[in-house]
This record gives sequence, C-alpha cells and structure tokens, in this order.
Amino acid sequence: MDFSFGRAHEMLRNMVREYAEKEVAPKVESYSQEGDDFPYDTLKRCAQIGLIGLLVPKKYGGSEMGYLARMIAIEEISKVYAGLGANLRGWSLVPHLLTIAGTEEQKQKYLPALCRGEIQGSIATTEATSGSDFGAWPVEVAKEGDDYIINCRKVMISRATVADIFGILVRAEKGYNTFLIEKTMPGVQTGHREKLISTTSRNSPLGDVVITNCRVSKDYLVGQEGKGIGAALSTIGGAGRTGGAGVCLGIAEAAFDIALKYSKERIIYGKPLHDLQSIKFMLADMAMHIESTKFLCYNVSWLQDQGKKSAEVNKETAMAKLYASETAMNNTLKAIEILGGYGTAPEFGLIQRLKAALDMIAAAGSNNVLRRNIGDAVVA
Amino acid sequence: MTQQGEVWIFAEQRDGRLMSVSLELLNKGKELADQLSTRLVTVLLGDQIDDLAQQIIDYGAHKVYGLENKNLRLYQSEAYARLIAELIDEHRPELFLLGATMVGMDLAPRVAAKVKTGLTAHCSDLYLEEMEGQKKLIAAVPGWGGNFVVKIACPQATPQMATVRSGVFEKPEKKPGRKGEIVKIAAQIMIEDERVETVEMVESHPVGLKLEDAEIVVGGGWGFQSVSGFHLAEELAEALGGVTAGSRPAVDAGWIKEDRMIGSSGKTIAPKLFVSAGASGAMHFTTGFSKAKVIVAIDQNPNAPIFEAADIGLVGDLGKILPRFIQELKREKNEI
Amino acid sequence: MPLNSIVCIKQVPHPEHFSKISLDPVTGSIRRAGIPSVLNPLDKNAIEEALRIREKFSGKVTAITMGPPQARDVLEEAYAIGVDEGVLLCDLTLAGADSLATAYTLAKGIERVGKYDLILCGNESIDGATQQVGPQLAELLGIPHVTHVVEVHWLNEGEALVKREIEYGYLKVKVRMPAVMTVMKNINTCRLPSVLDIMGAVGKEIQSWGCCDIEGEKECVGLPGSPTRVVGIVHLESKRKREMLKGSEEEMAQMAVKRLREYGVI
Repeated sequence: MDFSFGRAHEMLRNMVREYAEKEVAPKVESYSQEGDDFPYDTLKRCAQIGLIGLLVPKKYGGSEMGYLARMIAIEEISKVYAGLGANLRGWSLVPHLLTIAGTEEQKQKYLPALCRGEIQGSIATTEATSGSDFGAWPVEVAKEGDDYIINCRKVMISRATVADIFGILVRAEKGYNTFLIEKTMPGVQTGHREKLISTTSRNSPLGDVVITNCRVSKDYLVGQEGKGIGAALSTIGGAGRTGGAGVCLGIAEAAFDIALKYSKERIIYGKPLHDLQSIKFMLADMAMHIESTKFLCYNVSWLQDQGKKSAEVNKETAMAKLYASETAMNNTLKAIEILGGYGTAPEFGLIQRLKAALDMIAAAGSNNVLRRNIGDAVVA
Repeated sequence: MTQQGEVWIFAEQRDGRLMSVSLELLNKGKELADQLSTRLVTVLLGDQIDDLAQQIIDYGAHKVYGLENKNLRLYQSEAYARLIAELIDEHRPELFLLGATMVGMDLAPRVAAKVKTGLTAHCSDLYLEEMEGQKKLIAAVPGWGGNFVVKIACPQATPQMATVRSGVFEKPEKKPGRKGEIVKIAAQIMIEDERVETVEMVESHPVGLKLEDAEIVVGGGWGFQSVSGFHLAEELAEALGGVTAGSRPAVDAGWIKEDRMIGSSGKTIAPKLFVSAGASGAMHFTTGFSKAKVIVAIDQNPNAPIFEAADIGLVGDLGKILPRFIQELKREKNEI
Repeated sequence: MPLNSIVCIKQVPHPEHFSKISLDPVTGSIRRAGIPSVLNPLDKNAIEEALRIREKFSGKVTAITMGPPQARDVLEEAYAIGVDEGVLLCDLTLAGADSLATAYTLAKGIERVGKYDLILCGNESIDGATQQVGPQLAELLGIPHVTHVVEVHWLNEGEALVKREIEYGYLKVKVRMPAVMTVMKNINTCRLPSVLDIMGAVGKEIQSWGCCDIEGEKECVGLPGSPTRVVGIVHLESKRKREMLKGSEEEMAQMAVKRLREYGVI
C-alpha cells in the first residue's frame, strides 16, 4: 500500500494552504460578522482557482481532479475557517448532482456557470417534519400533463437566501423526485434565517426555502421520474458527508495546532506545559485521532477516485464524517482545557472552532443517523 | 611598512555622510591590521570627498584612496565595482571588508566576482585563525534557526572579502587631526558604466518606524501603573534607539496605541532586542516576542514568569531601575 | 518587440523546519534529508514579475535552477504558475558550490538557454541569504545588475526605470537590457496557480543539463569552484539564558548595558 500523495495533490494542498493563510485568514473576522452581505468575491476567487469544479468534467468547466483533491481543499481551508470549508462543500453539491445524474442539457446550462462562481447552488432536502426519515415525508409534488407542481417547505438549507439554484428532493405519488429549482421561478421564496451558533454570519446564511405552486417542466427533473432519491442520496452521501468530514478534519487539526503551540510557549514550574504528563497524554490522543480521521477521509476519497459509487462506499462515508465530527469536538474541547484560562479567549480561536464543531454534529448527515447506517452495514 | 597585503575597508558615503557601519569596520579593521602587521587602508568614492577622507583618517585609517568624480556622488553600481576592482588588482590587499548595507550587498559580490575571490555575507564576527601556517580570516555567520554559527574562510583567493551589518562592531574613537595618507584619484567614467545609472536618491528618515521592522523594541506592561510611569518605557526605547510597544493591559489603559500592541491579540515580532518592562509575562504577551534574538526583562516581582522567558533579568522598582538604565545608555553614547 | 526573460530559482528547506537542519561536519554542506523543501519565496515574486512582463511585451519565460534531482519540483511549481520552459542544472560535480560557483554554473546554463533580455532573481534565498548570486551572475555574463528592486517602470522593452530600496528610501536607477534584476517581496503580489494549472504542470518535461552539457570548467563549478569554504561549526544553546543580575540599581544597569553590547544588539 502506498499512502503517499502524488505531486499533483501535494501541489494542490500547498496552493490551497497558501490561499487560506494569505487570503482567508485576514478575513475571518469579517466573514464571521452578522449581516446580509454574502462574500460573493470569495465565491468568485474559489472558483477562479478551481475549487468549485473538482468533481466536474473538464468539458463542463471543471477539472475533475477528484474526491481526494476536494477532501484536501476542504481540509486546508477549514483549518483556517470552517465556515468557508463548509461553503466549499456546499458549492460543490449541485455540480456533483448534475454530473452524476443531470441530462446533457442541464449540464450545459448550469455547470459552467457554477464552476465559474457566477451562480451558486444548494441542496435542499430537509423537511420541517423530518430530515432523514424519508418515509414520513408528505407528498409535495403533483403531475399535471408533462409538468410538475411543487408545494413544499425545506428548512435548514445552507445559503438559502443567496443560492441561485436548488437541488430539491420531494416525495411524489410514486417514489421521490429531484428537481432543479431556480430561485427566480414564480412561487419560490427564501427567508427566515436560522440562528444556529455558527451560522449567523454573513458567510453562512441558513434558512428556509418555501415553494408554493411552482410549475416546472420535465426539463428540470434530475434523474428518472420517481427514482430521484438515488441521485440525491448519492450526492448527499458521496459528496455531502465527505465534505463534512473534511471540514471536521480541518477543525480537529487546527485545534491541535493551537494547543501544541501554546503548550510549547507556556512555561509552568520552570518547564514547557507539555512536559506535564497529563498535557502530553492529551496531545498524544489528539494527534492519534487526527491520524485515524485522516485515514478514514483519505481512504474513502481514494476509493471514490478509483470509481466506487456513493452507494458502494456508504459505510465508509458515514464512518469518515462521524469519526471526524467526534474528533473535531474532542480536540477542540481538549485544546480549550490545555489553554487553561485562555481556552475561551477569542484571540486563540478555539471558541470559533468549537462552535463550528457543534454545528457539524448534525450537519452533513447527523452523527446518530450515521452510526445507525454503519451498524446496519456491519451486521448485514 | 610591509608590502604584505593590507586590510582594506570600503567607506560608504551617502549624501556626504559616512555610513556608521563603515566606521565600525575601521575599528575591527585596525585590530585585524595590527594582528597581520599591516596597514589599514580605506577606499572612498564620491564627489568632493576631502572632508570625508580626513574624517576617515581621524577614525584611524592609515591611508585613504579617494576616487573623485561628480558622477560618483550617488552609488553607481558599474563604476564603483569597476574602479574598486582595478584598485584591488593593482594593490592586492589581503582583506577587503564592506558594510552590509543595501548598497554594500549590491557592490561587494560584483567586486568579488571581478577579482575572482570569496565573499562571506552578514558576518556576526571576524577574527584570524592559523590555517596552514598563515593567518586567515574567519567569518562567523549565524546558522538556521539560530542554533549554530558557521565558520567560513577563503583559504586561497585574495582579497578575503566579507560584509558586516551595522551594530556588530563598535565605532572607533575619533581623534581629529590624526595623521594619515590621502591619495586622491580623479576617477574616469567609462561608456559601459552608463548601461546602468542611478539618477536620484530619495531618503526620508522615518518619524516612527513600523513595529515589525524595528530592531529594538521596549514593551511596557501594567506594572507602570500610570501613563506618566509608562513614559519611562518610551524614554528607554529612545535611549536604545528603538520603538515602544505595549501589552494588552497597557493598551487598554490608554497608555499606548492599539497598533503597538504585542501579543496573541496584537502583533508578533522578532527584533534583535526586546525589553519587557513592567509586564509579568503572561503567555498572551510573551508569545508576541518569543523569537527575539535577545530578551531583557525588568519587573518588581522576582517570581514573575517573564524571567523564565528572558536572557537577562532585572528585579526591582521600575521607577528606580529604568532611569539608571537610561542614564547608563546615554553615558556610553556620549563617551564615543 | 518581445522581451525574453530567464528566472533563476532555488529549492530551499521549508522555513518551519529550519531548526532541524544540520551541517555535514566534513563537507560543510547542508544535510537536507527528511526536511521538506519549498520554492524560495522571493523567487515567486521574480516569476510573477517575469509573467507580468510577458503579458506586457510578450516573449518567453524560462525558469532555471541548479540543484539535486528533486529540484525538479520547483520547476514544476514554476510551470504551474505559468513559465514556458524549465531547465535543471544537475550534476554531482556542481554540488557544494558557494555563490561564485553557483553564479558561474547559472551563467553557463543561461548561455546554453540562448538569447535573453532580462534575468530575474529573488533578492535573497531564505537559506543562504547571501544576496550574492545575482550581482555575480551579472558580472560573469558581462551585463549590468540592479538589486533590491521594488518597482519597475518600462520606458520601452529595452530600458527600464527602476526603484531599488535603500535604508530609509530608494534609488531611482535607469538600466538598459540585457540586465539582471533581483527583486524584493513588495514588488508585486504573486498569482496562485489554479487546479488546472497544477494538473498541467505535473510531469511536464524539463531540460536537465549536466556540467558537460553547459561546457562548465570543472575547476569553476561545485566545491572546487568555490573560493569560500566552511571550516567549522559552533553549536549554540537555543534556550533563554535567564541570567538574573545582582546588585544595586546602578550596578544592574551597568551590567545590563555591558551584556547587551556583548550580545551585539546595541
């Protein structure tokens, strides 16, 4: 087994790290501020350096560098600012959906603009009444001739108020359908910003998408009629979960780096803090869990790059996100402990990371659901 | 006087003033010349250089070659290098030292390449060592991360060349009216020299140096107890030729501006000297200057953690120690 | 009229790992094994400047580096950023070179590359930091040089008015091509390679030349061609000294000033 990264992935990591340190780091405070002015310039910049189209074929404006490249990019940016890492994850979901399940016309129409950052997409599946319990969803689309009439309310949708196009999953009479809904279509309303801990910022507006009597032709149907759930779950599982894992990996690493640096500089009882065994043990655990997280994240990405479909790596994507999320939580908490009284001081950045880690427990596939998925796969 | 290779120094002038580092090199140069039983000679280029030449003699050189031409008033890379190389080829000195200014660093390598000799940059020390029966110049250069010092020599080629930063050596005594030889040469400008021409020099000595660029910083903390007390930190900075900074409590108290705050919520700097005064040494603060070359800590609490982070510690009343420190610095300066 | 430029670049140890570097006690060369390497930061500014000149005047940008086989990586990086051609000067005989031998080798390599109007370098490398190769290269090629460049204003493709930094200010220098310019960090902001740029650069062909290919004289390259030698290494304690001064305020003050002089910081 050769676990080394190739040159291309090394260079990609260096480039994204440089971008994150030079261009993202100075703006973290600005991104974190409450407000409605979404940083479109950052979207454009990420698109310019190629971070949106990593899973999209070249002929549609992407690079198709692959899942491992995407994992690395999200990881590196999330080390500096998890909110942008989460956006990078979110921006690539509709492109992924279209790439695996879109018609040629749909691909030509939306992919180039998405990859250029001219428009942004968001996946909208969560119902007010249930997230993962698809069986309990009400029927929210009716067929009328060749058209579909949609009435639904989706909640907790990332960038709901700024996305130009939504990939929504709705329950039909028979099965489920995935549609592309443009924000400007009649009957589409976005609003009601949720105030979760880390999503009150201008960078991460989270809200509702309410669709009332919206009529769309079959040109906006993604995948086969009634069979839309396959495509949606492939994106949510294969790209959504893995993206979330990358965000959590970045958070976990950043927390460790902050704790390590502090433990080297803080002198106590005449020696660096890390000389105390209790602290050294905590650092050892944090480092070890980062390594395991890396394996889960990079391994599933590698499998996907080898051609494995989302359904084939369902267990692996679940493990990556769940484990990464728990590592992010544990590492930020341990880091806060290591910093003692300074643990919650804003300038050390751990509170910001803890908030991001808390939100990631339920995001990108709620941890408890993932645990059940893994259990199901293991006992099958 | 022996014909044995001499010790030569490049005397850099800007706008009719001698650069401090050139004077410092005269001091070290004299020491090396004495050890080699040879003379200390200086090369000076410029326009109307009589006064400067005499100054150089006052500072201890035995001889000055003064190359004069109105076109040499400003640094001209081609002409300077060519003229110096010609002089070197004619007289074959043993050592040739230059100040590591932004001009010296431009000039020295070209000269070294012209006369095909070795050059060591940014030396932290210069001394002679016996190598195969001869006294050779050892140039000490700091290694990476400050963990070691590398000794470099130029065993065969001459002149052995080195550039040295200002502040490494001390200035010599000036004895006005010293006797020495001044050889004035009317320098010629050649056509090739005109391929690159310095047309203007623009200098503006700064009102306040940027904190990150300051080589000496005094960081004051809460221990001063008042803005008038904090003034002592500013006076100390001035006496050291550095700038003032402060810890977060000092900034919050309004004693110093936010852009001068050092620490995890302020700036991280790596000056060659950092003096912490009146700060107990919270990690918050020390992380801002842990990479300074030398750290001095002054505080009234002998158990303050700041002393763990320092190279030199002084315990006592700030109001008593600082004035003494300032006085001692001024006294030293005046004597030179 | 196009302006062809050559950028001299260098692979250096990653600055975060500097404290792990040791010197071979026999040859005095750096032990690089196990330490990650990067493209010298100021060389990126040099490449950026060359690309901007190409945008203005058109022409070819060639990156050249002297190094061991793994120095290929910095040429790949240069390709990703946008240079047209990459040349590696690699040969065991080239190793152990000081700045003069390095300048000689680069000069021979540049002569083989062919016609050029401008040679760009970073003002210094973060490892050696001698700032010597640029001016020495210019001398060996018989062309003028300007160092510490922070601004270039092109009068036409054959002549530039350049601002070069000095302490507390700058010099305005007019320089005719061909010439060598060594650049400072604030001359420009470097562009980032995109994902497609990176993918296109990996595995792209580079020219690799040995001493014979550039007709280098054996006495002028590598260790034999270096008039300076490392003759010893002295290890330093990296910890803080924690010397507590004693005595009256007067005595402590005097001792403090004395120590600071000894440390060479005042």
